[in-house]
Amino acid sequence: MLNYIWAGLIIISLVFALASDLTDVATDPYRNGQALPVTLEFDRPYDPQAPKQPVRLVIDSLAFQALYGVEGAPQPSYDATLRQSSDAAEIVLADAEAELPAPLDVIRDATNPRDNILQGTLRDVRVRQGDSLATATAGLTFAPVRFVKVAAITAAAIEFADIAVTIALGLVGVLVLFLGLSQIAEDAGIIQALVKLVRPVLGPLFPEIPKDHPAMGMIALNLAANVFGLGNAATPFGIKAMEELQTLNPEPETATDSMVMLLALNTASVQLIPPITLIAILGVETNNVYFPILFTTMGSLAVAVLAAKGLGRLRRYRETNPLRSAATDSEVA
Amino acid sequence: MDAFRDIIGVVSVFVLPAMIIGIPLYGLIKRVPVYESFVEGGKEGFGLAVRIIPYLVAILFAIGMFRASGAMEWLAGALGPILAFIGMPPEVLPMAIVRPLTGSGSVAIVADLANQYGETSLITRMASTMFGSTETTFYVIAVYFGAAGVSKTRHALPAGLIADVAAMLFAVWICLLFFG
Repeated sequence: MLNYIWAGLIIISLVFALASDLTDVATDPYRNGQALPVTLEFDRPYDPQAPKQPVRLVIDSLAFQALYGVEGAPQPSYDATLRQSSDAAEIVLADAEAELPAPLDVIRDATNPRDNILQGTLRDVRVRQGDSLATATAGLTFAPVRFVKVAAITAAAIEFADIAVTIALGLVGVLVLFLGLSQIAEDAGIIQALVKLVRPVLGPLFPEIPKDHPAMGMIALNLAANVFGLGNAATPFGIKAMEELQTLNPEPETATDSMVMLLALNTASVQLIPPITLIAILGVETNNVYFPILFTTMGSLAVAVLAAKGLGRLRRYRETNPLRSAATDSEVA
Repeated sequence: MDAFRDIIGVVSVFVLPAMIIGIPLYGLIKRVPVYESFVEGGKEGFGLAVRIIPYLVAILFAIGMFRASGAMEWLAGALGPILAFIGMPPEVLPMAIVRPLTGSGSVAIVADLANQYGETSLITRMASTMFGSTETTFYVIAVYFGAAGVSKTRHALPAGLIADVAAMLFAVWICLLFFG
């Protein structure tokens, strides 16, 4: 199942990116190669020799809307720099944070992904020199924008690979802390006591775990941490529980029914405490959704348990169960 | 009901300190060499985190591509008629789709909805309920199975996704009942 969904995500991404980019080729929403009429305002007399001089870039709303066929409007003016050489003139926006209307924002991201500043080439520059200041009209063209989405999904793939490593390494500290604590708990006999305590409740959900096995204690700690909204503690206990379950697994690459049940309980995540990130966004308003969250999470927990148990009975999952032979053996015995 | 919430709130503040202080303390009473035990148990922490990396990269880069491709917006449009049938406002749909895929992405959606429609709107409350009542299924699967070195996950993902769909439906109905 994971194989298909995983491959599906990648294939669907490519199909949608290509479809979107081919639509762009047909409709040319970025008007590649066409000039946008603009006005440049200088604060001092225009100097034809200066390689760089500050200007204000003024884009007429009507001309902008007519060219791109959109409804958005640019700001009254943008601070920019005019760069000239003997055969070309270029304009570069001064502020990377400047609010740009669509599709200029996409053009900016696509044509200059490194520093995210809009820049373009000026053609037919006509300067009107005033006494103390000058204005100029010109046609502004940008580097052609093509295959935006294909480039975007590639960039996203690389970016998220980075994020994954950051997340995994970020777990090291809490993992060491709680694995250390759980080792003390095991040596002190706390886990064994916990196993006896939770056996009546959790036993039916995890029939494969032998009596007095520490896996049950780790599962209990994992669930307790989840219930109290301690995500940091829940993950190490859950991982430890998976490791303990792995000691009971004759086929280490394949998940057992108990592992699937643990996962289902974790994804449904009963929590009596709303996540901290939610409190950070909503503030006091979190109180109003407290009970809706509680009821929803209980309902989904019930569904998760039923789904894990029910799907485990399907033939295809029964046949792949690493403990299938053990199960039939015990039935015979 | 408010008293229940207060009690839970107080208890939850003390659970973590109780674990961090109580476990070594109890170990000491039981004459466990606590420092040695802690270091011994903690040793595998780094190895575990590193072992998770390939699983997490595999899941996250695929999800990242999916988000960047614009397929989600299309899906939101295609599912419109079904939404009307179950009573879910279309604004909430991105939440229902993104929640099992990414935690940070769904936080951004809640923040965006709160910003756009206000914290007390039905839309924000529904999205918050969805966010608070479910987990990032794909992330949990990558981390837990990654740490154990399991690559054949059998019915873990279908079970998780069924529970997610159920949670989304419950969230819609309960919020309509509470705030509708």
